[in-house]
Amino acid sequence: MVAEEDAVMWVEKYRPKTLNEVVDLKDIVESLKAFMRNPKTMPHLLLAGIPGTGKTTVALCIARELFGQNWRTFTLELNASDERGIDTVRERVKDFSRYSRAAFGNVPFALIILDESDQMTGPAQTALRRIMETSSRTSRFILICNQSGKIIEPIQSRCAIFRFSKLDRDAMIDHLCCIAKKENVTLSREATERIVDYAEGDLRHAINALQTAAAYKEGVIDEKTVTQVIGEASPLQVQLMMRKALFGDFVESRKMMYDLIGSFGFSGSEIVRQMQRELFKMSGLTPEQRADLANVIGEYDYRLTQGANSDIQLSALLAQFAKIGKVKGENL
Amino acid sequence: MREDLLWVEKYRPKRIADVIGNEEAKSAFTDWLKNKHRSKKAILLYGPPGVGKTTLVNAAAHEFGFRVIEMNASDARSEKAICKVAGPATAFVALDTFSSESKGNVLFMDEVDGIAGNEDRGGVSTILRLIEESRIPVIMAANDPDIDKLRPLKKVSALVRFHQVRIPLIIAMLQEICQKEHIEAEFEALERIAENSQGDVRSAINDLQSLAEASRKLTLQDTVGLSARNKDVGMDETLGGYFSAKSLLEASMRLSRSSVDYDELLMAIGDNLPLRYRDPAELAEAYDFVSQADVFRGRIGTENWHLLRYFFNSLAMAAAVSPGSYQPFSLISPPIRVITLFWTKGRRTMLNNICGKIGQRCHVSRATAKTDVVPYVKAMLSRRKADEIVSWLELDNEEVEFLGKLNRL
Repeated sequence: MVAEEDAVMWVEKYRPKTLNEVVDLKDIVESLKAFMRNPKTMPHLLLAGIPGTGKTTVALCIARELFGQNWRTFTLELNASDERGIDTVRERVKDFSRYSRAAFGNVPFALIILDESDQMTGPAQTALRRIMETSSRTSRFILICNQSGKIIEPIQSRCAIFRFSKLDRDAMIDHLCCIAKKENVTLSREATERIVDYAEGDLRHAINALQTAAAYKEGVIDEKTVTQVIGEASPLQVQLMMRKALFGDFVESRKMMYDLIGSFGFSGSEIVRQMQRELFKMSGLTPEQRADLANVIGEYDYRLTQGANSDIQLSALLAQFAKIGKVKGENL
Repeated sequence: MREDLLWVEKYRPKRIADVIGNEEAKSAFTDWLKNKHRSKKAILLYGPPGVGKTTLVNAAAHEFGFRVIEMNASDARSEKAICKVAGPATAFVALDTFSSESKGNVLFMDEVDGIAGNEDRGGVSTILRLIEESRIPVIMAANDPDIDKLRPLKKVSALVRFHQVRIPLIIAMLQEICQKEHIEAEFEALERIAENSQGDVRSAINDLQSLAEASRKLTLQDTVGLSARNKDVGMDETLGGYFSAKSLLEASMRLSRSSVDYDELLMAIGDNLPLRYRDPAELAEAYDFVSQADVFRGRIGTENWHLLRYFFNSLAMAAAVSPGSYQPFSLISPPIRVITLFWTKGRRTMLNNICGKIGQRCHVSRATAKTDVVPYVKAMLSRRKADEIVSWLELDNEEVEFLGKLNRL
C-alpha cells in the first residue's frame, strides 16, 4: 500500500494529518483535543455538516492522534452508503472488535468510523444502536452525516455532537494558496476567488478544481483556465436533459434520463436532486420560469417518495418542463 | 366525470312496469310487498348482476311511496355498523308513518353475499336478529345465494329468483335510449352490444354510452372492440383500446376489463404516453395523472387494495385528456427500463468499480465519488501528469479508456 505522503491527488496529499492543521474549525478542534489528552473520556462522536467541510478529515486525524503510525490497525472505516445492509455492518464491526487488540497504550478501545451514516434506514439505525451498546467496552464510534436530523434520537443521545458549518471564504483562499505554493503553481487572485465561489464552502470541490486547473495549464493559472475547468467538470448530462425538455424534445430528454439511470446508475431521487442544483446554474431562464420549475421539481421529488415507480415520476417531471418551456420559451 | 350522468342512472325505471324482463320475479316481489304481514318478514332477491334487482326495489318504492333505507357493499357491515344504521330504523315505527306522503320504511341490504368473513364480523347473525326484531320489512339482494354463509338468511326469507334478461328486450331498451339521446344507431350494432352483455342490462347500457355518446352515431364497425367480459384481455389489446378511447368512461372500461398486471400496465402506459400525446401541454397533463396513479400504487403497497379504484381512475383520466387528438401509433415494447438496464449493465458495473477504487483512496462513498470526484479525474486524465493519478488510483487500461469515452455527467 502506498503511504498517504505519496498521494497524487491533492485532496489526499494535503489532507491534514493532525487536528492542529485542520482548516477553520477552532472550537471543534479545541474540544476534541481535550479528549485526546485523556482518551478514556472520549465518548462516541457524531460529526454533522454539509459535504467538504472536514468531517472525515477530523475523524482520520483523531485516529492518527490516538494510535499514531499504527492507526490503520485500530481503525475500521466503513461507508454506510456502500455497505449493502446492516448485517454487513454488524459482521464487519463484530469481526473487527474481536480481532483488533483493543488496547493501545492508554487508549482502551478501537475506533470505528461510519461515514454517511444518515444514509441508513431507521431499522438499520436501531440495529446500529444495539451494536454500539454491545461493543462499547472495546470500541468507539465516530458517525459522520450530512443531516443529524436523519439520525434516530437514541443514537444522538449516545454521542457527543459536533456541527460543521460552511467553511470560511478567507480560510479557504488561504488554504488554496498554501497548496499552490507547495506545488509550485502560480495562481491569480481572481482565479482563486472564482474557485472558492464555485465550491460554495466545499473544500473537496475547491482542491479538485485547483488540481485540474494545474493539469490544464503550465505557468500562471488565471480565471479563464478556472472557468474552463468548472465548465468541463460540472454536470452536463442533467443540464442537457433539462434543456432538451424545455425545448420541447421530450423523447430525447427521456432518453438522456434513461442514460443517467442505466449508464451512471443514478436513482430517481439523485437525479431530481441534481436537477434542483443545476436549475439555478442554468442561463436563459426568466425568474418566473425558474420559480415554476423549482416548484414542479419539489412536487415531483415528493411524489417520488410516495410513488412506486420512479421512471414514471421522472418522465412526468420532464413533461412539465416541456410544458413550461413551450409556454414561455421565447427567452431560452 | 365529464358526462353529466351515467345513462344507467338517467334511464333507471321509476315504475315497476318499466323494469324489463323477469316478469315472474316482479310479480312475486309485488305480491310480497302487498301482503307482507301474512308472509315472511324478509325477502331475498337473487340472480346475476345487472338484471334489475336494485332497480326493482327502487321502482317499487317510488310507486308505493315507501322509503328505502339502504346499505350496500361499500358500507362496512360488521355487527356494530349494521346496528348503527339499521337498528334505529327497524326498532321504531317512524313518525313518517303518520304523514301522508310516506307509507313507511323498508330496509334494503344490497349485495349481502359480499359480507366478508373477517371485516364484517358477526354480519350475518346480526342481520338474522334484525329480521326477527324488525318492525319494518327487510329486503336483501345477492348475486350468489348458494354460499354457505347465507344459508341461515335463506331459511327465514322469501326467495325470488332473477334470470338474465332476454336479448330482444335489451335491444328494445337500447333503441329507446338511442331515440331519446338522438343517436343514429345501426340495428346490428345494438344487437351485438346486447348479445355481448349476456343478459346484463347495466353493462349493455354502459357499452352503448361509451361507444356512442361522443359521436352520436353507432355502426357495427364501432362495436368490433367489444369483448366478452370474461375473456382474457392482453397488453396490446388493453393499450390499443385505452389510448384510442373516446371518453373517460371508455378508457375506464378498457382498464377494468384488462387482465394485465397493474404494475406492467402502469409502466407500459408511461412508456407509450409520448407517442399518444404530441402536444407538450397535453402530455404534461396526461403524465400528471399517470404520476398520481403511481402515487396511489405506492400507497396501495401490498395491502391497501381498496385504493385500487383511485389508481384506475387516475389512469383513465390520463387517456381522456384530449380524445380528439388520437392518431394510431405502434406501441413500444418491451419496457424501456428493462431494455436500458440490460444494455447498460456493463457500463454501470465498470463505473461502479472505478468509483469503488476512488472511494478507497479518497475516503468517500461510491455515490460521492461518482458525482464529486469522477468529473475532475476524467478532466485531469485528458491532460498532463495523468500517469501518476492512474497508478495511484490503481486504474487499469480498460478503465482509463472507459473514463475517456464516458459521457460528461
